[in-house]
Amino acid sequence: MIPIEFFLIFGGILFAIGAYGVLTKTNAIVILMCIELMLNAANINFVAFAAYNGDVLGQTFVMMTIVVAAAEVAVGIAILLNAYKSKKTTDVDELTTMRW
Amino acid sequence: MITDMFGSFAPMMPMVIMIIGALVMPALYFITKSRRLLPAASLVVIAASAIMTFLMLEAGYTGTYGSLFTFDAFSGLMLLLFQTVVFLAVLISGSSIETTRMHVGAYYSLLLGATTGMMFVATASDLIAIFVGVEVVSISSYALVAMKRNDPRAAEAAVKYVIIGGLSTALTVYGISLLYGVTGSTNLMDIGAALATAQFSWAFVIAMITMIAGYGFKIAAVPFHMWAPDVYEGAATPVSLFLATGSKKMGLVVFFKIFLILFVVAQTAFATAEIQYVFAIIAAITMTVGNVVAITQTNIKRMLAYSSIAQAGYIMIVLAVMNEYALTGGLFHMFTHVFMKGGAFIVVAALINVGLGERISDYKGLAKRAPLIAFAMMLFLFSLAGIPPLAGFTSKFVLFSAAIYDPATGVMSQWVWLAFIAILNSAISLYYYTKVVKTMYIDKPKDDAEKIQIPKTFMAAMVLCLVFVIVLGVYPQLILDLCANAAAAFF
Repeated sequence: MIPIEFFLIFGGILFAIGAYGVLTKTNAIVILMCIELMLNAANINFVAFAAYNGDVLGQTFVMMTIVVAAAEVAVGIAILLNAYKSKKTTDVDELTTMRW
Repeated sequence: MITDMFGSFAPMMPMVIMIIGALVMPALYFITKSRRLLPAASLVVIAASAIMTFLMLEAGYTGTYGSLFTFDAFSGLMLLLFQTVVFLAVLISGSSIETTRMHVGAYYSLLLGATTGMMFVATASDLIAIFVGVEVVSISSYALVAMKRNDPRAAEAAVKYVIIGGLSTALTVYGISLLYGVTGSTNLMDIGAALATAQFSWAFVIAMITMIAGYGFKIAAVPFHMWAPDVYEGAATPVSLFLATGSKKMGLVVFFKIFLILFVVAQTAFATAEIQYVFAIIAAITMTVGNVVAITQTNIKRMLAYSSIAQAGYIMIVLAVMNEYALTGGLFHMFTHVFMKGGAFIVVAALINVGLGERISDYKGLAKRAPLIAFAMMLFLFSLAGIPPLAGFTSKFVLFSAAIYDPATGVMSQWVWLAFIAILNSAISLYYYTKVVKTMYIDKPKDDAEKIQIPKTFMAAMVLCLVFVIVLGVYPQLILDLCANAAAAFF
């Protein structure tokens, strides 16, 4: 059996890539994709722990996460479309009407 | 007894009523096409749910549903808090011009749905329920903010909110996954029991950091607060009211549930003192930054947003002190905050309705144009600053005194410095609240200014808040006893 550390390191790398993308990218759609990466990193942890603990609780949680992620992207894309209509951009650096 | 009728569903009944309401609203609008009926119908649903909760609370009912939800004195009180918030929001939504271009069926459905999520969180005893409840609230609020479609500021605020909210979700889920790995459970009590015998591990540290950061975004604790002023400014004012008083309280309930249960109730052996220090520092920074930045604001909604960040900082004292008396004060402050901050947002919404702007300078000479509204606004702001004999003073008194001294043991607490910073901050906040009062009372109105008439529903909501702000100040036992019971049930 593959040691659990491998899964955790894989999840950690995925999470770090996602977090890096959220902090550095300026296109809102790419940021949403990076958030998906971070959620999937958590899902990998859940499934790995569930397999090693021998219970299904972690897998149940993954179902919840997938549903939530889908709902969030659906609402998020609709909001981006709405913002694109009024601002003609999806670049978060240009959404700066309100500051401080 | 009313709960006998519902068998094992009894602990879920307030939520079930709210969900049915949320599902019925769009259909009701589709059938009747009446924009006036929906707020009334929503108020009926909320009242039914609140009466159900109140009867269960009065009867001292406790029960669990599965291992996910628990109804006790604590969750019952929190349910009443969220129902009060959504009641005020729906009451002023009906006649607010900011909601007229929205799809009303979806609007009321989302409001009731978001409240259901908050109620899930309030009754949750498992991380799965907390996670799903928080997400129900978050996703509904993204849509509620974006629904004000004629305003480009709302579109911008919604984009910021959805990105920050998504980041916070990802952080919390990652933290929960590691906590599940360390303890093998998602039930809060089981996690606490497993941690009591656990050794130090980096996975646990990372889990705590990501969860504090993730849920810190929800309560807009500094340094995770950047989204709050933009969102409260961009959203329709009834939605700002709902987010500032409801959504933020939900985040605080999550903090109470996770950290108080893990580190106090379930007797985790290690890291309690460190976590207390982390929260004390976050609380001190949050209240200071919120109050200092609020001074420079010229938009009243942004000023209220920063003041609401500071209020969250005050309530975070509970997480540093971690005892029953502090929790009593925290819960009481959450209640009074609903009425004073809610009242201030209601006044702002009412004045937007009659064509006044959101800038503080638009309020010049308001006392001459609308004496009652200006008087109410003054009391709400003074209550937020903590002037006796208003509600804000009483609740701050209980909350800050918990940081100085624990009446259960009679020992001076180590958090006196935190109480000192909090009192200093109250003095800072008085400065910018008084600036608004001065604008209303001393500055001259423009020459063509006329008397202001606001719709009856706004007047009703404002008077309701005003009554509570005064009554809770002179007779705090009305809610303080319930808060003490709730805190006793929690520990």
